[in-house]
Amino acid sequence: MSLVKHTLAILALLGLVASAGAETIGPGGEEATPSSTVVVGDEKVAMVQAKRYSAALLWHDQSDFVNAVTAGASDEFERLGIEVVAVTSAGFDAAKQRSDIETALAKNPDIILSLPLDPVTSAAAFEEAKEAGVALTFLSNLPAGYEHPKDYAAIVTDDLFQMGKQAADALAEAMGGEGTVGWIFHDAAYYVTNQRDNAFKTTIENDHPNISIVAEQGIADPARAEEIANAMLLKHPDLGGIYVTWAGPAEGVLAALRANGNDSTKIVTLDLSEPIALDMVRGGNVAAIVADEAYELGRAMAASAVLDLVGEEVPPFVVAPAITVKAANVVEGWKRSLNIDPPASLTSN
Amino acid sequence: MTATPVLSLNNIHKAFGGVVAIKDFSLELFPGEIVALVGDNGAGKSTLIAIVSGLHRPNSGEILLDGETVSLSDASSARSRGIEVVYQDLALADEQPVFMNMFLGRELTRKPLGLLDKSRMRRETQTMLDQLDVHIPSAGSKIRDLSGGQRQGVAIARATHWASKLILLDEPTAALGVAETAKVEEIVAALKERNLAILIVSHSLDQVFRLSDRICVLRRGVQIGVRSTPETDKNEIVSMITGVHA
Amino acid sequence: MAALSWIKRLDLQRSVIYFGFLAIFLFFAATLHDDGFLTTRNLTNIVLQTAPATIMAIGLVFALSAGEIDLSFGSIVAVSALAAAVAMQNGPMVFGVIAGLGAGVLIGAFNGVLVAYLRLPSFLVTLATLGLFAGIARSMTDLRSIPVINDTFTGFFGSGKLLGVPSLVIWTVAAVAAGHVLYRHSRFGAHVLAVGDNARAAQVSGIKVPRIRLMVLTLCGATAGLAGLLYAGRLQAAKYTLGESDLMTVIAAVIVGGTALNGGKGSIIGALLGSLMMGMLNNGLILMGLKVSDQMIVRGVIILVAVAVSLRDTRR
Repeated sequence: MSLVKHTLAILALLGLVASAGAETIGPGGEEATPSSTVVVGDEKVAMVQAKRYSAALLWHDQSDFVNAVTAGASDEFERLGIEVVAVTSAGFDAAKQRSDIETALAKNPDIILSLPLDPVTSAAAFEEAKEAGVALTFLSNLPAGYEHPKDYAAIVTDDLFQMGKQAADALAEAMGGEGTVGWIFHDAAYYVTNQRDNAFKTTIENDHPNISIVAEQGIADPARAEEIANAMLLKHPDLGGIYVTWAGPAEGVLAALRANGNDSTKIVTLDLSEPIALDMVRGGNVAAIVADEAYELGRAMAASAVLDLVGEEVPPFVVAPAITVKAANVVEGWKRSLNIDPPASLTSN
Repeated sequence: MTATPVLSLNNIHKAFGGVVAIKDFSLELFPGEIVALVGDNGAGKSTLIAIVSGLHRPNSGEILLDGETVSLSDASSARSRGIEVVYQDLALADEQPVFMNMFLGRELTRKPLGLLDKSRMRRETQTMLDQLDVHIPSAGSKIRDLSGGQRQGVAIARATHWASKLILLDEPTAALGVAETAKVEEIVAALKERNLAILIVSHSLDQVFRLSDRICVLRRGVQIGVRSTPETDKNEIVSMITGVHA
Repeated sequence: MAALSWIKRLDLQRSVIYFGFLAIFLFFAATLHDDGFLTTRNLTNIVLQTAPATIMAIGLVFALSAGEIDLSFGSIVAVSALAAAVAMQNGPMVFGVIAGLGAGVLIGAFNGVLVAYLRLPSFLVTLATLGLFAGIARSMTDLRSIPVINDTFTGFFGSGKLLGVPSLVIWTVAAVAAGHVLYRHSRFGAHVLAVGDNARAAQVSGIKVPRIRLMVLTLCGATAGLAGLLYAGRLQAAKYTLGESDLMTVIAAVIVGGTALNGGKGSIIGALLGSLMMGMLNNGLILMGLKVSDQMIVRGVIILVAVAVSLRDTRR
């Protein structure tokens, strides 16, 4: 029985990746609910505070993004009188994630917020927490075979399709609606990046008839982005634009363009990063960065878990909006996405 | 001499490529006898030691042990025939205890699991060291905690423990001080009583005269001659080594 | 008298890890007694979490003691776990065990042949094969994770228990006991130490030095293969990233445990304590509720101090 469930979950996921539609959909095909509708009302605050819940935040890695999600969740927990008893980072190591969960359980948290590294390895890892009845809210990913609402409170993620689509629209605008594009996608079965990457591709193909994707290259190791971009530019020196799956490898692509003295090829990427944004505000290659509202993601995760604990119905799949950040709205974009002021370098010139 | 020589080298010839290292060398060693091999650097002493210890094979000539022709193909085959070498660098493992060095490569094991019999190795080591009057803190001491003389003593004790016929000593006191040299010489001299043959390479003519029964001189791979120690003197040996007649 | 000589033999170099281990344990026990550190479940968790690293550490003690190093075990773990998971998709548990251990042994032997018979430095060989097999692990399943749904296997190598003792604890105890006996009480162990201490002395003493080098690297591969099986059992899945982050942990555990980087000296029990110490640090710092970056800083400083102290003592 569990074999069938496993297999189905994986098949569902693969199918989803292959046929990303025009809307962001959950790993089990769930419809998206906007995060703005998931709120713990003021009338419940006193009641929740009285229960003195505790929470553990078990992340996959460390980054600006994770910090912003942590901040959003922590602020919401504070409002509700919930203590954060453990914060961990697995450094993308599935075995470490499992250990982190076990360790955090020693403190008997009522809530766990986490990004499961991948559906297959995390199924066993979260088993103990699931059995213990902890309110689980997952970021972006779902352990294989887990069912809503029995096993977890909610999945919260970016509006993945919107991120890819907005990136495509921003790049098209910067290119004047025509030219050739290189597409650097994340070469791993990870549903977040896969949906974003595919949404970009679909949007270019469907909505921008005078733009064609002439080069496609997968990337698994961000450190190799510069080599990949160099090879791409060697074959297609007149590329109008390059889409890079997220900001880390985009830094490598930018380095390649600079080394080639290329100031005409435009870059769009996803997730905020200071060096990328700095190039953008200085009028360099970077045309736009599409970001998610990470702080809002964290808030919505915390709210979902709490609503689950107090017995309210929580939608299975919650998405936080995407924003396109350009040179003109960098300050506002930074605040909305990460809930902090942009680095000084971006506003000083 | 009526006894059979322990070791006979007959017309040994060894060349590396075109370079002749040993030319037509012959020597006999008898039980209970110490023979010194002397010569300048590059005279061929090391090559000769390597041939007798099985590391090099001669191009021609024969090696006889107890009157029997043998072929020494490697170090193990020499060792299994009762030939032990004390190398100049001693070939001791510094971090291991003395008793493990005594039995290096020939560890004693215990049935039924074949695990090391450390207590027996310890005991036998202590006995050997006591017999040779080598003083060290304990058979369990690490080599690196011993003085140079003590290390030399351990190396000689190891060779003595395993040798049934012949011990080759390569510069046994080159790195030692005066008192330690005297002690090591005492140990070497005592080995004669065990009826072993000893071939010693040394740069120190004083030592050679103190220890040896006969002296064999090599110069550029050629055997200049063999002298009975009581019947020669330093001047003769020096002129044989250098080729300059005083 | 006997007790006294025992204490003397337990010399200072090796006692660093005993003191360090005890100090860290007592510190966490004192500061975290209300936070679940001392619960049986938490202490058991530490042993479970460190089981694969401990077993890899045993292999590494042999390699370092012979004067070699293995850096490739990080990727051997992933290849072995994936090989086992794939084999069990269409076959019984025994296929998985053979595939996983076999992959480890073969890769280890491959390293060993290059090092022992072509006389390439093991540092470079295994650095290269680390990358090579990381690539192979990635391509084996196109970066996909493979579930392991064989309950016998996951019980045997992961979540099972025998007489109430978790299987990973049994694996750890068995591997450490076997490793210790092999290292301290067998001719093989004595030869490994001799080769690492003075390879020429070992060779003129009739020890087949290349064979020892081949065997220690094969043993490293085998322990990494077993670690891969344990990961696959514990996660009920295999993934190409398994073992990647263990490289530094395992090396640190072994060095802190009193094994010399330049051969001839080491301790299996020390490596076990080193590995447990690493796990205890991870665990305790999380339970203290530190921020992730602070956890990393504190852990880094403690490891640095521990490694510095043990190397100061093991260096000649």
